[in-house]
Parts: sequence; C-alpha cells; structure tokens
Amino acid sequence: MGIPSGYTSAQVVQAVPTGINSALVLISSTTIGNAVSSVTVSNAFSSTYDNYKILISGGASSALGGLSLQLGATTTGYYWSVPRLVYGGAASNETGANGSSFTSVGGMNADGLGMNVDLIAPFLSKNTFYYSNQVANGTSSVAGGGGGFLNNTTSYTAFTVAPSSGTLTGGTIRVYGYINS
Amino acid sequence: MMATHKVQIDDVVRDATPAEVAQIEARQAEAEAQAEAAEARAVARQAVLDRLGLTEQEAQLLLGS
Repeated sequence: MGIPSGYTSAQVVQAVPTGINSALVLISSTTIGNAVSSVTVSNAFSSTYDNYKILISGGASSALGGLSLQLGATTTGYYWSVPRLVYGGAASNETGANGSSFTSVGGMNADGLGMNVDLIAPFLSKNTFYYSNQVANGTSSVAGGGGGFLNNTTSYTAFTVAPSSGTLTGGTIRVYGYINS
Repeated sequence: MMATHKVQIDDVVRDATPAEVAQIEARQAEAEAQAEAAEARAVARQAVLDRLGLTEQEAQLLLGS
C-alpha cells in the first residue's frame, strides 16, 4: 500500500489527524512475562474514552484452555454467557452468574494466545459490559460469541487477564480506546 | 505446601502473595468447574439424542444449536 497523501511514512498512525473523528487509539502495549499466572494492566481506562478494545496475540500457555478477564480488584458479580459449538460438533455452552471473573473470553495453547474483547464503560460509574468471540485453539475445542456484564457501578482503571489453568509466557496485550466523538 | 505462582503488574513480574495465590487457585478452580459443567451438559445432550436416535446435525436442524 502506498503512503497516503499528507503522511510521510507508512507506519501505523496513532495520532488522529484533524477532521477524522472515528478511530481506535492505542493506549498501552504490555509484553507478557515468563510463566506468569496473571497479568494486570494498570491505568488502562480513564475519562478520555468510554469504550475500549483489548487484544491479545502471540505468546503461549502451558496448558490448553481459556483466558479470563477481571476488572480492578472485583471478584464477584460477573454475569456472562458464551453459546459455543465444538468444532464440527455439538453445543458446549458456558455461562456464569455472580462469578469471580468473565471466565471464557479468550483461547490459549502452546501455539498462541488469542483474545478480542470490547469493553463498554469500564471507567464510567455504570455497569461494565463485555462483548467477545471466544475462540479456543484446540482441534477438539470450541468457538462462540458471548458477552456479559459486571453487576456494579464501580469505576475501573485496571484489568487482569489470567489463564484457566497453567501459566502464560510471551505475547502482547494491547488496549485501545474508541474515540468518543 | 502452597503452590508458587508469579503475577505480572504492567511490566513487573514478582512472586504472588499468599492472598494472590489463593485468588489464582480459586479462579482456576472456578474455570475448571465451568468446563466440567459444559462437558456434563454436552454428555447429557448426547444421551438424549442417542435415545431419540438423532444425529447432532439432525438435532441442530430441529433445535438450532
């Protein structure tokens, strides 16, 4: 692709040119360490944006499983549902009421981590909603679209990602903000 | 003996505190229970399909997912 008019390089544009009012802006990029049982990203959410996207890619886990998402230090009140199908097979839905985290928001195995979550209003003093497609990366695993909400009105600045079992090594957690205007 | 875990806060990796270890183990136990419950539902569904003599594809045609 050529360099667009008005730009001097083909690098990813993180600053938004005047007149463009719809964009995702990279807030933070965190490299996951070696054999960690959880990763907390602080100062991810603020008054600058109402809504956010969290992407995880690369890396590996020590076990096949899922990734969970927790906001701040809150360990109760997570309501979620993930209707899923086993690859080439039957339904294998997961759901939780008043759980300790959003449990099934990403996939992981020795060949990679994957998570793509939209968070609505984590910083606002409102319920926080999440929307995600969980894709588990085992040949007999599952995929499906799900979501949920956190049943409080706490304002959050941080989140924690954790494996359903084992540990995580490597990979990158990127947080983007959806411009409000 | 309590298992050891490492936690990462932004770019800093350190040993988990006892409270954090308890939280990690509770979270992993909850995830395991969720997976087992999903598996149990799938097994129960298959048992019903077997009784009815339906394949999974036929069930999806009739019932959706």
